[in-house]
Amino acid sequence: MWIPIQINENSAEPLYFQIETQLRSLIVSGQIEEGTLLPSIREFASSLKCSVITVRRVYQDLENEGLLLTKQGTGTFVARVGHSERSEYRRMVVQEAVEAAVDAGLSVQYSEEELKALFLEIIKNKYRSQAGEGS
Amino acid sequence: MNEALALELKDIVKKRRRKTIGPINLQIPQGYIVALVGTNGSGKSTILHMLTRSLIPDEGEIKWFGEKSAGDLPQEIRSKMAYVSENPVAEENYQTAEQAASFRAHWYPSWDQKKFERLMTHFEVPRNERLSRMSKGERRKFEVAAALATSPKLLILDELSSGLDPFVWKDMLEELQESMMGEDVTIIMATHIVEEVKRLADYIVLVHQGKVLGMVEKDLLYGSCYEAWVAGDLGEWKGRPELIRCDEDGPSMHKLIVRNEAFISELQQSKDLQVKRTRALELEEVLELWIQGYAPEYK
Repeated sequence: MWIPIQINENSAEPLYFQIETQLRSLIVSGQIEEGTLLPSIREFASSLKCSVITVRRVYQDLENEGLLLTKQGTGTFVARVGHSERSEYRRMVVQEAVEAAVDAGLSVQYSEEELKALFLEIIKNKYRSQAGEGS
Repeated sequence: MNEALALELKDIVKKRRRKTIGPINLQIPQGYIVALVGTNGSGKSTILHMLTRSLIPDEGEIKWFGEKSAGDLPQEIRSKMAYVSENPVAEENYQTAEQAASFRAHWYPSWDQKKFERLMTHFEVPRNERLSRMSKGERRKFEVAAALATSPKLLILDELSSGLDPFVWKDMLEELQESMMGEDVTIIMATHIVEEVKRLADYIVLVHQGKVLGMVEKDLLYGSCYEAWVAGDLGEWKGRPELIRCDEDGPSMHKLIVRNEAFISELQQSKDLQVKRTRALELEEVLELWIQGYAPEYK
């Protein structure tokens, strides 16, 4: 099974962290469904061109978080993700992005009023264009 | 983690005519792909020869799967190992691929004839041609097919890619990855092709002037060193241990090589300096620095 994970070798984030963050979001957002059998550690490492040590670490971390289950002899599966966890995760992703945007505003001394106005304008444009595509 | 070792080298020394290899201490855990990298003549092949027992070390001790061996390797260990040497052995020159294979099959109880046939077809190796009459690439493909057909627990490869065109080379890497799906197979490979290391290796062992400079997880080397162009007066920053190299690159512009990403953020926050551009160093650049004495720092 092919899993859409993109590694950025130029990033300051360690490889395992990049893979772990992306795999977690694929699972929590429901893009990889509950019960899906993930590739074996060696298979996944080969396709990502990283070492088995890294993949093993990612699987172990996500297993500890309850997102993955390993059955001896069969492999690693996606566990059930609760509804509350999923909405909590969605909120967290958006919150981080908004915080980053506000930080960008602060760094160029944008005023609160300016920022609010810009934010509302962007929301208007984006949501309108999405609704336009839908119809 | 307490892992079983495929190989253990303890204080190994081998005196060659022009140089001495060692002392080498190395532990290769089972189930990993380990790349030996280093410049020509650094001692990689000599190390591999000692692992296959075609060379006996002058000092020290080697253990294969936890067992040491005084003389020749016992058949039980030998049958778990396969070796593809840099240059093919002359004894098989007058045999065809089929004859050489049936001879080898005698020595390996785990010989998988079906797998051998499949690989020979896949690699398009002529079967009834004498090995000495094959092209370098064809001979290489036969050697790898025959090595994989033994279903080895320990596969030793010396410059796998030599003589192979890029298409076959890619096929071969995939076959190797396939053979690793059984979890307890160990591969130790000497190579100077960085792409081979990137695609296959779990660990990198750096060999330089007959010594092992270290063994590290490959993935920890990504982002371990950076290049940065910085404008302004560097002043006391120059004394920092994270700074590996500092070259002038135009008026009041410096090109820096630094270890540790946190150091870059420090530079960025400094009021007297402007960091114009940064780039993480490629694997081969990190290895080159390591050979020059700048061992990578791990995160």
